[in-house]
Amino acid sequence: MQPEVSSSPIDRLRKLRESSLGSFVPVLLALAAIWLYFGLALPLWEYWTDPDATGLRFIFLSPRNIYNLFMQSAVIATLAVGITVVLLLGEIDLSAAATAGVCAALLGVLVLAGVPGWAACLLVMAAGVVLGLAQGLLIAYVGIPSFVVTLAGLLGYQGLMQKILPTGNLNIGDPFVRAIARILIPDIWGLLLAGLLVLAMAALALRRQAERKARGLELETATTLWGQVAFFAIIVFTAVLTMNAYRSVPLLIVLLAGVTAIIGWVTTSTPFGRSIFAVGGNAESARRVGMDVKRIRAVAFGIVGLLAAIGGIFGASRYGSVSYTAFAGGSLLLESIGAAVIGGTSLFGGRGSVWNAILGALVIGSLGNGLDLTGASAADKLMFSGAILLLAVAIDALSRPAGTSAR
Amino acid sequence: MSSKELKKVGPEAPPPHLRVTGIQKRFGGVHALKGVDFEVARGEVMALVGDNGAGKSTLMKILAGALVCDGGDFFIDDSPVAINTPHDAAALGIQIVYQDLALCENLDVAANLSLGAEPVKSGWRFLPKLLRPLDDLEMEVRAKAAIDRLRVRTLNSVRAKVGGLSGGQRQAIAIARAVGAECSVVMLDEPTAALGVAQTRQVLDVVKRLRDTDHAVVYISHNMRDIFEVSDRICVLRHGANVATWKTSETTADEIVVAMTAGLDNGTNNAA
Repeated sequence: MQPEVSSSPIDRLRKLRESSLGSFVPVLLALAAIWLYFGLALPLWEYWTDPDATGLRFIFLSPRNIYNLFMQSAVIATLAVGITVVLLLGEIDLSAAATAGVCAALLGVLVLAGVPGWAACLLVMAAGVVLGLAQGLLIAYVGIPSFVVTLAGLLGYQGLMQKILPTGNLNIGDPFVRAIARILIPDIWGLLLAGLLVLAMAALALRRQAERKARGLELETATTLWGQVAFFAIIVFTAVLTMNAYRSVPLLIVLLAGVTAIIGWVTTSTPFGRSIFAVGGNAESARRVGMDVKRIRAVAFGIVGLLAAIGGIFGASRYGSVSYTAFAGGSLLLESIGAAVIGGTSLFGGRGSVWNAILGALVIGSLGNGLDLTGASAADKLMFSGAILLLAVAIDALSRPAGTSAR
Repeated sequence: MSSKELKKVGPEAPPPHLRVTGIQKRFGGVHALKGVDFEVARGEVMALVGDNGAGKSTLMKILAGALVCDGGDFFIDDSPVAINTPHDAAALGIQIVYQDLALCENLDVAANLSLGAEPVKSGWRFLPKLLRPLDDLEMEVRAKAAIDRLRVRTLNSVRAKVGGLSGGQRQAIAIARAVGAECSVVMLDEPTAALGVAQTRQVLDVVKRLRDTDHAVVYISHNMRDIFEVSDRICVLRHGANVATWKTSETTADEIVVAMTAGLDNGTNNAA
C-alpha cells in the first residue's frame, strides 16, 4: 500500500471507520457524551447553583435508571437490528414499526382466543416474515423502489393493525408472553454467563490466531487481539453488574443479545451475509459473480419482518398491552431508523453492523430518558433527536471514501 | 519480457488457442461486425485496436458471452464450441475484466477475490450452504496465492479494503479475480485508461506475468505506447471488419494509427 501522507481530521476519521473496532468509536463517543452530560454535568451544575441542594443526586447514572434505559431501548434496538440488514443493501424499510404493530396486535388477539403463548409467538413471527417478504418480493422482482413499497406498507399495515384492534388497545395477560420481560436471570447466573461469554471469545480469538500462524497469514497484533477481548469484557461485565445492582439481568435483554448475535453472525460470517455486503457495495459486481441479487433483497426484507415481529412480541411483553400509539402510530419507526444510522450504518449501503444498531438504540433511548428526567418538553426531545441524527449522518458522509461520495 | 523464442507469424503463426471466424453482429440497422476473424494463442498478448465504433467492445462482449452473435464460428484448440452466455464463456476458461472492474469497495481484497465462490468451513452440513460459516482464513490464503502469482508487490495486506487502494492495485485485483477462476483466456478492456505512469507500469507488469504463465491475453487499448510495450501481435479493426494483424516487432505506431483511421489499400505485412 502507498504510505499515507495526508492526515487531515477527515482522513483520520475515514481510517478509523475502516478498522474493525473503529466503527464503534463514533457511536460510543456519542453515548459517552450524552451519559456524561445527563449523568455528571447536570447534577453537578444543579448542586453548585442551587444553595438548598442537600447532596449530589446522580439520577441518570443510577443502576435503576440504567436498567430502565436498557428495557426502554430494547424494542427500538430489535427493530434497528432488522433495519440495519436492509440498510446494508442500500435499501430502507419504513414499515418496520407498523409490521411490529400488526404482529403485536395479532399476538394479543391470538392469546385472547386461547392459543398458547409459545404457539402465538411462533405464528406471529411467521406472520412478520410474510409481511416483510411480501414487500421484499415487490421491491426485488417488480423493481419498485423500497422507499415507495415500504411507505405503502407503513400505511397499509397501520390500517391492518387498526382492523385487528378496533378499540386501539388490548391488555395481554398471557403468562408466557409476560414472562419474557418479567423473568430475571439470577445475579450469579448473569455473572457466570458473562464470564463464559468472555472466556469463549478469548478462546476463539486465540484459536484463530494460532490458525493464522499455522497458515502463514499476517497476525493480529497483541494489542488488537487483547484489546478486542478486553473491550468486550468491559462492556459485558459493566452491563451485567449495573443491572444486578438494581435487580438482575432481564431475560428480555439476554434474548435481544442472542437475536443480535445470530443476525450479526449471519451478516458477517456466512456467504449469505457476504452477499448482502457485496450487493450493498456494488450490486452490478455481485450480479456478475453470479449472486442472485433479487433473492438476496427479498430475503433481507423477510429478515426485517421477522425482527419486527420479535420487536412486537418484546413490546407487548414489556408493556403488558398492545396499543396503536406504542407501535405503528408512535415515534418507534423513526427512532429505530435513527438508531441504525446513529450506530454508523451507512444509508448508502455496504457499511455497518447490527451491534452498532444496539448502541445507536441506547443513544436514542438515553437522549429521551435524560430529557425526560430534566423535565424537557416533547418538543425539546424531538429537536434534540433530530440534531443527533443529523450529526450521525454527517459523520457517515464525511467518513465515506473520497471516490464514492458522488454515488 | 518473455524469453520465449521469437514468434512466427503468417502461415507459421503460433497455433491459436481461441479462434473465431466470420463473426457477424447487427444492432437493428447497424451492422456492427461484418464477418470478423480473430485469434489468440497461449503465451501471447494480442492487442485489439481500432477507432471508436470499430467493433472492439462488441467483439469482446461476444467472446465473453455477454452478447450473442448473429453468425460465426468459435474454436478452442481447433474444436468447435458455442458461446451464448457468460456461463458458457467461463466454462471454456474465458474471463473478461471490464473497464469498470466491478469490485466491491466496501470489502477487503480477500473477500473480493473469492466473491461469489466463498469457501465455507467443513462440518456444518446441517446448515444450508448459504448459511455455513465462511472460511475467511482459507480466503486469505487463496488471495495471497493469487496476488503472489501476479507479483503485485505494492499490496501489503489482503485484508485492506479495496476502497483505499490505488487504481493500479484495483486493476491488478480485478485481473487476479479473473485469473483465479480457472481460465486460459483473459480479456482486458482498457486496463490503463485511467491510470498514472507508475500505476500503468504496475498493470503492464501484471499483463506480462499473465503471458509468462501461458495465458492467452486479449488487450484492448488506445494507448500505442502500452500496446507496443506489452503486445506480441496487433489486430486492427475498422468499421466492423478486419484491417490486418501485425506482428508488433515488425510495425510502427504510425502504421497502426493509419490503419485504424484510413484502413489499408493492400494487404502487405498481414500477420494473421
